[in-house]
Formats: sequence, C-alpha cells, structure tokens
Amino acid sequence: MADFAYAFPHRHLLGIGGLNRLDIEELLNLGDRYVELNQRRVKHADVLAGQTLVNLFFESSTRTQSSFEIAGRRLGADVVTMSVATSSLKKGETLVDTAMTLNAMRPDLLVIRHQSSGAVKLLSRKVDCAVINAGDGTHEHPTQALLDALTIRRRIGDIGGLRIAICGDILHSRVARSNVALLNVLGAQIHLIAPRTLTPPGAADWGATVFTDMRKGLEGCDVVMMLRLQQERMDGAYLPSAREFFHFYGLDAEKLAHAKATAFVMHPGPMNRGVEIESSIADHKTRSLITEQVEMGVAIRMAVLETLARNAPETGARNR
Amino acid sequence: MTTPRTIIHNARLVDPASGRDATGGLVVENSLIVDVGPHIGPDLRKAAPGRDTIIDARAKVLAPGLIDLRVKTGEPGGEYKETLETASLAAAAGGVTSFVVMPDTDPVIDSVALVDFLRRRASAEADVKVKVYPAGGLTVGLDGQRMSELGLMREAGAVLFTNGDHAIEDAGVLRRAMQYASAFDGLIASRADTHSLTRGSVMNAGAFAARLGLRGAPLEAEWIAVDRDIILAEATGARLLVDTISTGRALAAVERAKDKGVQVACSVAAYSLFFNELDVGDYLTYCKVFPPFRSESDRLALIDGLARGAIDAVVSAHDPQPPEDKRLPIADAAYGAVGLETLLSALLRLVAADDVSLLAALRPVTIGPAELLGLPQGRLSIGAPADLILFDPDTPWLCVREDLLSRSQNSPFDGRRLEGRVLRTWVDGRTVFERN
Repeated sequence: MADFAYAFPHRHLLGIGGLNRLDIEELLNLGDRYVELNQRRVKHADVLAGQTLVNLFFESSTRTQSSFEIAGRRLGADVVTMSVATSSLKKGETLVDTAMTLNAMRPDLLVIRHQSSGAVKLLSRKVDCAVINAGDGTHEHPTQALLDALTIRRRIGDIGGLRIAICGDILHSRVARSNVALLNVLGAQIHLIAPRTLTPPGAADWGATVFTDMRKGLEGCDVVMMLRLQQERMDGAYLPSAREFFHFYGLDAEKLAHAKATAFVMHPGPMNRGVEIESSIADHKTRSLITEQVEMGVAIRMAVLETLARNAPETGARNR
Repeated sequence: MTTPRTIIHNARLVDPASGRDATGGLVVENSLIVDVGPHIGPDLRKAAPGRDTIIDARAKVLAPGLIDLRVKTGEPGGEYKETLETASLAAAAGGVTSFVVMPDTDPVIDSVALVDFLRRRASAEADVKVKVYPAGGLTVGLDGQRMSELGLMREAGAVLFTNGDHAIEDAGVLRRAMQYASAFDGLIASRADTHSLTRGSVMNAGAFAARLGLRGAPLEAEWIAVDRDIILAEATGARLLVDTISTGRALAAVERAKDKGVQVACSVAAYSLFFNELDVGDYLTYCKVFPPFRSESDRLALIDGLARGAIDAVVSAHDPQPPEDKRLPIADAAYGAVGLETLLSALLRLVAADDVSLLAALRPVTIGPAELLGLPQGRLSIGAPADLILFDPDTPWLCVREDLLSRSQNSPFDGRRLEGRVLRTWVDGRTVFERN
C-alpha cells in the first residue's frame, strides 16, 4: 500500500482532461520512486503479481508498446501484447466485439492505442477492467504528458510558472492536447507555435498563447517541446514542403538561442531529423532530454499501472 | 344508403394553412374531409344513429398529418436497416402521414423502373401504412455527372429530384439539371454542402471538435453551397429546395433570395432545432449526423426563423443505421439518425418553451411541404384527404431507444425527456395508429 493519504479516484486513465492537481501529483510522486527502482540492478516489484496486463495496439508503436510491456513486467504482471496485424479485426470482427472477447478472458489492466479519437473511451465502456489510453487518434496521450512532466520536474523542479513552448503539428497531435491540459493544471505558461494550417481552431482558448513566429514564441522559454511532423502533412496539403517547414519551424541552434540560455529540448519521438529538429540539438549532451523522456516513460507507466490496479474491483465481484 | 362518416368533435383544431386554432370538429366521409369548423358538435349524433363513428377528442389537438420531405429507408438494398413497412409504422406512430424517400439506395432511384417499383411497394396498403413519395436521383447513380431521366421519372411519380446526401460538386452539371427541370417546374433539392471542405468530418468544426481531436465540418462549406445554388436557381429560373440547412447565415441567404423573387425554399432537420455541438459529448456516435449539430447561436437563429415562418419545411432526416455501423469509433461510424418518431415532439418542445406558436411549429411539417410538392393534404379543409393526427401537446415522455418502432434505433433523442405524443393517426380517414 502507498503511504500517502490521497486516494486516486479514477478507474481508468483515458486522458488528462478530468484529472486534478492531486491526481497528477500522486502519479508523478509514485513515478519518482519507480525511477529510483529502475536505476537499481534488480528492478522487480511484485505489486501486480498474478495480474494480467493486455496491451492492445491498433496502431503500430515501438516505444510506447515496449515501455508498457517493460513497465508491466517489472511490476510482476503477466503481459500479453496484441497488435492489429495479428488480431481478428482483419477478419471483420468489430472493435467492440474484440473488446468483449478480451474482456471475457478477464484481464486486469488493458492498455489501448487506436488511430481514432474516442475509440479508447468507447472500449472502456464495454469492459470491466481498468483501461489506459496509450494514444487515441488526435485526442489524448496521457502517459506521454505525465512522463514529460516527470522529466521536467526532475530536471528543473516545480512546473508552476515555467514557460513551456510546444512546437509543430499541434492540430494532429494528441501529445500536444494532453500536455496543454496537464501543464495548465500545474500552472505553467504555455506557448503554442505552429503554422496556421496546423493550429487547431480555438487553440487560443486552451489556456495558451498561440504564435506563428517561432522566434517570438520561444522567447523566455524554459522548455521547448518539439512535435513529430507526419510525413503525409508535408505533401502540399498542409505545408508546401518539409524544407519550408524546417526553415520556419525546425529547431536549430539559431532559433533555440531565442529561448532561455538554459532551456531544455524535448521530443516525444520518433524524430524526423532535419524536419522538425536538427541532429545537433536532438543529441545535445546537456540540453536535450529526449532519451531521459524514454526512461521516465517506463517509470510513469509503472506508476499508472500500480495506481489503477489498486483501484480495480475484485475479479469475482465484477458484473457480466 | 349514405356512406358512413367519422365525426370528431370537441377538438382543438390547429390548421396552419388557414391559421385556425380553435375548438371545433371535423367530418370525414369517403376518405376526405367533408366538413370542418366550430359548428360540429356532439349533437350531430342525432342525425346519424348507428351509422357514423363519433370520436370525442377531449380537447386534444386535431391537426393535419405531418409531411416529411427527407426520409431514408433501406429499401431497396438495405432492408436490414429499415423497410418501407417498418418506416411507415414509425411514421404513423410519430404522426407522419406522408413522407418522401431519398434516392440513396442500392440500386439508386434514378430511373423510371425504380420510381415505379417504389410507387408500387408504397401502395401495398396492407404493409405500408402511410403515403410514400419517391424522390428521383438527379444524376445517374448519384455520380454527380450525368443527368438522369428527370421528365420520365416525374411522369412515373417522382415528386422532387435530388442528389441525396451527395452535393453536386460540378456547377455545370447542376446548372444544366436546373435548366432542364425548370421547363416542367420540377423541384430540385440540393444538399447545402461543399464536400471538399467537409470530407471526413465528424462534427461541427470549432474549438470543441479541436479539443476532442475530431475533424470538423466548417460553416463555410454550407454558406458557399447555399450561395452557389441560389445563384444557379436565379440564373435558370428553377425551383430550388436547399436541403437541410443548419446555420443562421444560410437561412439569411435564403430569405434574401426569396425577397428578390428567386424560387427558393429551405428545409431544416428537426435535430438542428434541438441539439447543439456540445451534445456530441463523449464521442456519441448517435449524434454523428450531417449536417452536424452546430453551435447554440446557430440553433437559436434557426428557431427564430421558424417563429417568423422563414423555414419552409422541417424534416426528420430519418436515416436508420444498425448497431454494427454505429457502435464504432466516431470517425468510423456511419452518419445518420432515425427521426420519424421524434419529429413532432422535437417541435412541440419549442412550443412548450414558448419559442414558437403551435401554428408556426406545424406549418413547416404540413402546408409548407404540401405546397412545395403540390399535394392536396396537409390542411384541414373541405375536400382535402383525411390525413389527420390527434395529439396531446403536453404529455411528457421519455424517449427510450429500444421502444422505437424503426428497425434501427439510432436516435440521439435516446434518454431525452420530450413533450407531446400522438394519440391517433388517420390516413385517408383510416386509423393507422392508435396509442393505448
């Protein structure tokens, strides 16, 4: 049992929207402890011993999927990973049928990634176990925002009052939506930097300031979060070319110089080097936190899995 | 021997065609209304012992049966969604006594043979309880390119021509179809959509869609289409029905064109008067419709238009979709909502809220569409077909999806409290629905 008094009140983690400051801080605090555990030689905890974690990935992913797998195994859970290529969806079974079938096998934790916004929410209504959103369409990716917050907190300290820029394809980014929600709760000052075609309508009402000029947007920033630009956006539909995008929005030393001299650089990966970020910045020894984000990812996912498992009803007590 | 009559007395007669809203009665003989007015009381019984059916309406509303200009069934080709028979059961229960079926079927209703098929299916009186009128496809296979046989379909009984859910992108094709149809005063319904702006959209474009991470249909897609189609109607002299507008600005454009003398009318889906974009909430696929639920200010602008008589037709936009096409992530789910059983109640809620009068609410579902199609029903006047409904405008009820009579039950009204229910429905003087 955890030794703090606040009880995380949610059955699922579907998004940052709906979480309050205490919820987020509890997850970050527990994440901190798992960072320590993960740095030891023996990384095993047994809080999920005997429980089954199913990773259901309808959209391919290397880092998030393996991060959840490692997190589950380190906590002692039995981990099963299903990707869409091997599932029966190809045979015409509906998404909901797949969820009901999996549910009948009585997993305790279900991690889902899907290419459609809202799909994870839909599935969470059909199953009895705890559901964790590992990314749904262009909606939310809550564990990414939590790991980003943990990374910043461990490097800089309190997130309240920091100026944080989020740059690139905001329109199609679930990472940006989750980060804006989370950083707002923690009291950061958010700058969104993007070309107009990749800025969501109404973004100015998200509790952020919107910029099209990257240099202005980076002024005074403590952290610069770059987003991945999908290849299919660069074909003349949203942007004239990758080259033009890099010229105006690619992070290089010159543009980064407009942020604070101590500013850190982050990226959720996978990176398009030379499109949204220059290699010398991505690999910078002191300013790039990109590999550290991956490390924090495992720890925060362990924290999320443990917290939700604690809240789950006993298998025998479930309906259906 | 005189023919039997049905005498309904002690009713609140509400007839938008004449502006009548007064206590009185009505006499039906040989499927027609033969007398109507305040002078018809229970004393008529003396004149007709044992022969006539006397109905005491108990001060409930007696109005013309509703005429719905936009209904989709699954017949032919998608009978698992809905048949003409199941749609007619839902219609009768909802007080809809006449409806127009869209040509978006499989095969598309784009030829004389298919119009004739629908006419024959619809006249199978044992099965199909209400009057069904086919709309002819404006282009062959609704491909938006080749004009279909408009004149022949009209002779076979098509009441209007439309490209259904797919707006015609090619202005030249639409212009020629309008020119051609104007020769016989054919009514062309055109969807108010610019598809290149709404492809893949799930809901209204804006801040709420952006937060949900959903692709939105922007308002300008409707505005551009309405302006273009009005200009083409003006240039060709065709009669245009702008199909299901959802924005205040589109309504204003239609009103301006009417003032200029353009032969243009517009319809609004009942759901656009009831819901706004926030009702999509947590990705509710039953709220995925096209045009989408818009902002509250657009909803209010449409209600204003209804109150001042600017909306010619309110339609159910009935579009049955089974669970396998709706129980999906919202981006993958089918568009459409059933609406035949909630059309009247959606309007009556506006009356209950004092937004519009009962006469103003009923006009676009009775005489409004009747005049657009040149139909004799839709009015309480002597000589008109006895297509009638008796309803209590104040009965509260809870809409429960599973209780709907449609074969598909994809209703956004599921779980909503509504006001006003149909007690009895007559088509040509015959009772086709009675609520116990």
